[in-house]
Amino acid sequence: MKNKVKLFWFIVLVVITAVYFIITKPTKLGLDLVGGSRLVLEAQTTQTMPVITQDMMNSLQFAIENRVNKLGVAETVVQRQGDKRLVVEIPDVTDLDKAKQFIGETAELEFKKLAMVNGQMDWVSTGLTGKDLNKAMVSSNPNNGEWVVSLDFNNEGAKKFADLTRELVGKQMAIFFNGELQSAPNVNEPITGGHAQITGGGNAGFAYEEAKQMVDLLNAGALPVPAKIIEENTVGPTLGADSIARSKFAGIIGIGLVMLFMVAYYRFPGLIANVALCIYGVILFALFKIIPVTLTLAGIAGFILSIGMAVDANILIFERTKEELKAGRTLFTAINSGFDRAFTSIFDSNVTTIISCIILYMLGTSIVKGFALTLALGVAVSMFTAITVTRNFMHLIFDTGDLKHPEWFGLKKSDIGDAYKAVETKREKAKFGILD
Amino acid sequence: MKLDIVKNKFWFLLLSVLLLLPGIAAMIYSSVTYPTHTPLKVGIDYTGGTTLQYGINSTSPNDKLGDLRVKLQASGIDNPYLQVINVSDDNQKDGLKSIISIRTKFIEEGSKVTDEITSIMTSEYGGAELLQVSSVGATLGSELFKNSLIALSLAILGIIFYLTVRFQFDYALAAILGLVHDVLFILGVFSILGLFWDVQIDGLFITALLTVIGFSVHDTIVVFDRVRENLKYYSKKMSFGEIVNFSIHQTLARSINTSLTTVLTLLALYLFGGVTTRDFVLAMMLGIIIGTYSSIFFCASLVDLWREGAKKKQAA
Repeated sequence: MKNKVKLFWFIVLVVITAVYFIITKPTKLGLDLVGGSRLVLEAQTTQTMPVITQDMMNSLQFAIENRVNKLGVAETVVQRQGDKRLVVEIPDVTDLDKAKQFIGETAELEFKKLAMVNGQMDWVSTGLTGKDLNKAMVSSNPNNGEWVVSLDFNNEGAKKFADLTRELVGKQMAIFFNGELQSAPNVNEPITGGHAQITGGGNAGFAYEEAKQMVDLLNAGALPVPAKIIEENTVGPTLGADSIARSKFAGIIGIGLVMLFMVAYYRFPGLIANVALCIYGVILFALFKIIPVTLTLAGIAGFILSIGMAVDANILIFERTKEELKAGRTLFTAINSGFDRAFTSIFDSNVTTIISCIILYMLGTSIVKGFALTLALGVAVSMFTAITVTRNFMHLIFDTGDLKHPEWFGLKKSDIGDAYKAVETKREKAKFGILD
Repeated sequence: MKLDIVKNKFWFLLLSVLLLLPGIAAMIYSSVTYPTHTPLKVGIDYTGGTTLQYGINSTSPNDKLGDLRVKLQASGIDNPYLQVINVSDDNQKDGLKSIISIRTKFIEEGSKVTDEITSIMTSEYGGAELLQVSSVGATLGSELFKNSLIALSLAILGIIFYLTVRFQFDYALAAILGLVHDVLFILGVFSILGLFWDVQIDGLFITALLTVIGFSVHDTIVVFDRVRENLKYYSKKMSFGEIVNFSIHQTLARSINTSLTTVLTLLALYLFGGVTTRDFVLAMMLGIIIGTYSSIFFCASLVDLWREGAKKKQAA
């Protein structure tokens, strides 16, 4: 008895916490719903590359897309415009200055050696560049705790690096990033493991942010040509502000209709399910803000589907409870077995959904990711609200009392008990193979 | 009303075939005849198109966006993407306050379409000035498709594994075939819509398909769960087919009510919601309906068919 009351207060506490977060935390909405910033980049010709070809633009677009994705922002748009421009649209939630810095960097990593050029000693390219990398990581130097960038070469890169270090034993080798000398260590022995480290140019080494940015840039790949931001504006939602305003209104009508249906068909339990659905909405919305999830239309689709599944869980339970009541069980047992028997189907279908969401989230990109995240969260929360919350409310209200008002459950007095016999005879009939 | 699904399973399987065939035919026809060689008519998200930018002196251009969309569509500009670009203060000159960007399919240089759009723009926003016409590339590349397909295939393997552990392998297979059934149906419908009504698919379509897949599996599991439970109690008294029938009847009210509630929400979004998401909502709505149909009539029939076949083999 006491547990019931405790659980009720726990639910109240969860709702209050959720409401607190909803009020204090900002909502993050994606480009399609509220808009964001729009940057126009133009590929720049250089002495070595006087003409911008379509191939270059393709790889530039690919590299920029990679970088924008590394910003961890949901669903950005990178689009070709004309012959040598790219339009990049990123949601409001991003730090624009950081994004600009990040997008504009060429990220060219080069290993150089000293050689005689026009009678002067100078650094010359060795052919080993950022293209030969498999992965870059931030790590710390165990000797002095400084931040360093660890490089992991691919097969070809490892071979090149081994050859280069063999050639340069006893001499200096230099690492250039974006044309800037990072470090120029002496090579003591050939390095064949395919790993290398870049230490910061200055005495203090890298700041963490510096190392992290270099790593992100290296992993995203170098730009094939330098690109300059030539235009910068803010933009409205890609789905059109007019459409979004109408859809908001329509969504409210839709949910209202569902709630009306639940009460009309399932009566009192339907009302409880509606309360549970509101709690569901509050908790999920709070989670979106806490994590935070940048909501886009794909995310909202996942959200709609999870609402459907939450409502379905309650429908399953109530249909089951009704069956049990018809079979003449007491109210308390009917409610309990309604929940217990519906549980396996709710559990199995939800676990399947969550498994697929995890896989989609890990492997998918943009749209797929946003969808999978909100659906998984929604389903997880619905397991709590549609089962625990609804059950708690039903028990608190009905306790162990008798079923005095069958109409509260959408049943007639005459339904009760009768159906039990009907089901039984059907089973008997079925035994003889005369199932209608 | 008592429907004997198991007895009539061949009819239902035939009905599924009939439901899918026109769509499959349309997809094959489209793959051959469209210049893009895709089974569905793809929108500018995939093909790229033309962007026209108009400078206007109004600071609240959103109010008239809906009108503009209606007028553009009435004059044959399909699915225009309308987006407002706010001009930053330093760039404001000659009373230019914001830019309306209209993105649509490729417009050839010097064609009349540009003039037509310009005249609609000037009638909607007095003093609108065409600033720029440029071609734009696709925002969704084949990369995204490939990546999504790989992710989806692995997700399906995950589903098969889980359902095989919790049920049996043939249930898992039936659930996945049900999923394929539903996805094929939606693809087919949109292929037909593309052929006859010029409906194009955009990035949202992928999302809608994911929703359909999610619902399809979910709904099938609920029906199978009941079969599993009834098998435990009645497997000695009833044949497998009878149990399937019985279970479907028990879950029928739930199946109908669940899809009804979801369809209600979507219908509201379809009728009263924004134009830009209408096809997206339609795809989801049809998916929920076909998903409910397939879990009752298609998946259950399949499992029964296989079980019957296995029994006959055993007997022989």
